[in-house]
Amino acid sequence: MEKGRALLCCAGILMAVVMVSILVNSPMVFGLASPIAQQLEHRADIIRIDTMKVFGKLERPPVTFFHQKHTEALEKKNKDCATCHLSEKDRMSTKYMRLQDTTKQEVMDLYHSNCISCHKETATGREKSGPVVCGECHNDQVTVISSWRPIGMDKSLHYRHSKAQDNKCEKCHHVYNKVTKTLYYAKGEEGTCRYCHREKTEDNRISLRLASHTGCIDCHRKTLAKNESAGPVTCNGCHDAGQQELIEKVKDVPRMKADQPDFVFVKATKNDEVKMNPATRMNLVPFNHKAHETYNDTCRVCHHADLRACVTCHTLEGSKEGNFVKLQQAMHRQNVDQSCMGCHEGKQSDTLCAGCHTSFEKKRQQDQSACLNCHMVPVPQLDDMKTPDERKLYAAKTLEYREAITGTYADEEIPETVEIKELMNDYEPVKLPHRKIVKTMVNRIKDNKLANYFHHDKGTVCQGCHHNSPASKKPPKCVSCHGRPFNAKDPFKPGLMAAYHRQCMECHREMGIKKPVSTDCTACHQKKF
Amino acid sequence: MSITRRRFLSWLGAAGLSTAVGNTANAASNRQFTGYPESNGVLFDNTRCIGCRKCEEGCNKVNELPQPDRAFSDLSVLDTKRRTTAKTYTIVNRYDDIRSNANGPMYRKVQCNHCLEPACASACFVRAFSKTETGAVIYDASVCVGCRYCMIACPFEIPTYEYDSAFTPRVMKCTMCYPRISKGLLPGCVEACPTEALTYGKREDLLRIGRERIRTFPERYVDYIYGENEMGGTSWLYISGAPFKEIGMREDLGITPAPKLTSGALSGVPIVVGLWPVLLTGIYAINKRKQKIEKDEKEQAVLSAVKNAEAEAEAKLADAMQKAEKEKAAAIEKAVAKALEEAAKAKEEVTVTDVEEADKKSTEEDS
Repeated sequence: MEKGRALLCCAGILMAVVMVSILVNSPMVFGLASPIAQQLEHRADIIRIDTMKVFGKLERPPVTFFHQKHTEALEKKNKDCATCHLSEKDRMSTKYMRLQDTTKQEVMDLYHSNCISCHKETATGREKSGPVVCGECHNDQVTVISSWRPIGMDKSLHYRHSKAQDNKCEKCHHVYNKVTKTLYYAKGEEGTCRYCHREKTEDNRISLRLASHTGCIDCHRKTLAKNESAGPVTCNGCHDAGQQELIEKVKDVPRMKADQPDFVFVKATKNDEVKMNPATRMNLVPFNHKAHETYNDTCRVCHHADLRACVTCHTLEGSKEGNFVKLQQAMHRQNVDQSCMGCHEGKQSDTLCAGCHTSFEKKRQQDQSACLNCHMVPVPQLDDMKTPDERKLYAAKTLEYREAITGTYADEEIPETVEIKELMNDYEPVKLPHRKIVKTMVNRIKDNKLANYFHHDKGTVCQGCHHNSPASKKPPKCVSCHGRPFNAKDPFKPGLMAAYHRQCMECHREMGIKKPVSTDCTACHQKKF
Repeated sequence: MSITRRRFLSWLGAAGLSTAVGNTANAASNRQFTGYPESNGVLFDNTRCIGCRKCEEGCNKVNELPQPDRAFSDLSVLDTKRRTTAKTYTIVNRYDDIRSNANGPMYRKVQCNHCLEPACASACFVRAFSKTETGAVIYDASVCVGCRYCMIACPFEIPTYEYDSAFTPRVMKCTMCYPRISKGLLPGCVEACPTEALTYGKREDLLRIGRERIRTFPERYVDYIYGENEMGGTSWLYISGAPFKEIGMREDLGITPAPKLTSGALSGVPIVVGLWPVLLTGIYAINKRKQKIEKDEKEQAVLSAVKNAEAEAEAKLADAMQKAEKEKAAAIEKAVAKALEEAAKAKEEVTVTDVEEADKKSTEEDS
């Protein structure tokens, strides 16, 4: 009995201690928010060392390693990359202290002995040093947030590189000879690195990550060694958002020379000789390749797999090379940047355009007349043109002469004000500055070539508000369609009041027009007394 | 009579079994109330809501609620998160930090969701709440006892109480403007909304409209209609441009109607209250009767056995007596016979002896 009571006492005390420690440790007690999310450091140089994964399941959590921290520490001691990275044939390995992953034990020992011994050595010199105990490196605790950002060659960067290399493309560009299994430079076949170097290393084709880290950094280091200015060699130099801003941008980059056309008809067959039945063939699409080069930062926005014509892979019927995406789909697919319509539609989210365009349902199938906006040239017109140059000239002429000005009616044909007095309950009628609105809308898009072209018909701009009826000088009034709300027979059509309010408010919101505020009723209509 | 352990357990088993059987039958049915056909509802689309508080004003007006302290046109009210009170059936809250929305804040209107199977109605033991065929969940103050179980039961924290009314406090909540919709008018808030962020109609149609809006503008909406299934479905439905959690709506409610959560336990009540006494009394009575019969029979048997034994013994005795008498008689007879015989013998012997003696004498005389 005596013993039992003592045991109970002990248990009670233990419980109390546990409770108190939980309470004290919990930040909630002091009304503090969890400190985790706010105070974490942002770094662009985080490497998760999970190399041992290739040998099977990890026994310990991977090590979070800050690369930049180490390069900076070594620099202070006048040590270079070779302290940690071995080189083979003048090319530095990205692996730590080895050229290849040999055996599990060997690689593990390599990390353990070298890391720990260096940390120990540094610590003896009374300097700040790294961990030497297992759990300090191998832990799963989140102490940093990655601010890593991908980087790629844009036109400006490419131009600066080719200039620095005296236009010697072979310094970087190469292709692979499958027979001799060697890399060689093929003039005229240069493409983006990622056409061959994919996300993961496949056989002897190294990943993009590896290729760029060995290729770029090696060259940068060698250039720096010659005391010349070169690109970054540290993680942050390329991958930190702030540092990326500092990379010099060349305006008006000269065109890249890749034997590309200026103006061209979009090809529907791989081979010009193949004659298609003109009776069933779509009108041809003239394409301003030169202008489109300036709209994008890289060629790979459109040329996502290689630099050849779209039809090479995306044939009319679809082919394996093109992942069975037909030419028609490749040109018209929505929500992708590579297709014409996908990219053009993406531009509609611009604040200039969003006002009208967000209220429309995105349909791939548009009005038949809309096809003719791009499919401009009937095939027979080209019959007498035999040479490709003649055709290209014709394409250029067609594009030059087409109307790319937003069309509107003459000022006097546009009502200056429109008084909305269909609904008057609590408020006076609204005097809508109609002409001013039209003019503002037209003015805003007047420098946008894409918008100008697609709004060249008179009345197209009007359809932003006067929708669902054919474009005309005198469109039907709102009240012709919108009436009482919640008509079960026509459930998707808003009532008149909502139609007015939403038309104005949603457009203003999307276009970023702050005034009048949607909730300020009297800004548009005076209150009735 | 005493209850043995075995008997007690078997009774308990019988009672449990009867309850379980009742429940299984209920659970096996696939009947679930999916709302009155043609019932009405409201669809709230927060991508259309501009946070003007006209709905609050409209509600206040048609329900003749007291004027608020701050005017409806004062939008600074939205700076704090509010909930419904006894004087406001509906409120609008503003949510500023919506990650997915670049166009600034989003709004949410709060009012009774008019569940298809209301928790308030199931919690109310005087049936003050009822789900009407119009879709509205309405309240009858005349029967209310003021227990406020409805306020605890509601997963959306909607019903409120007139704490400041000393004598006739009522539970207050949105009625979907039951008097108005019965007359074919629109609910006050819906009528007041300038942008049709609130759509009134048949619930079935609203679901269709909601789905169609999401299909037409997939990038604008979260692909979900809140209230389609929440707590078994509500008549008030929501579609949103931001995750519902970010506009302060509970995503942990599940799809089971509130009454169903307690129906299992509550369906046991009639069995326990009604059947158990009958069952257990019956078992008890049967047992008792059985025991009584047993006892009677036993007594009877004992009695008859005793009787039999007695009779038998008597018979035996009589038999024995008779036998004994017979034996006695026989013995007497025998004895008499023997005596007679002996007497005769003795007499004969004498003669024989005489003869023998005579013989002997003759033999002796011969030799």
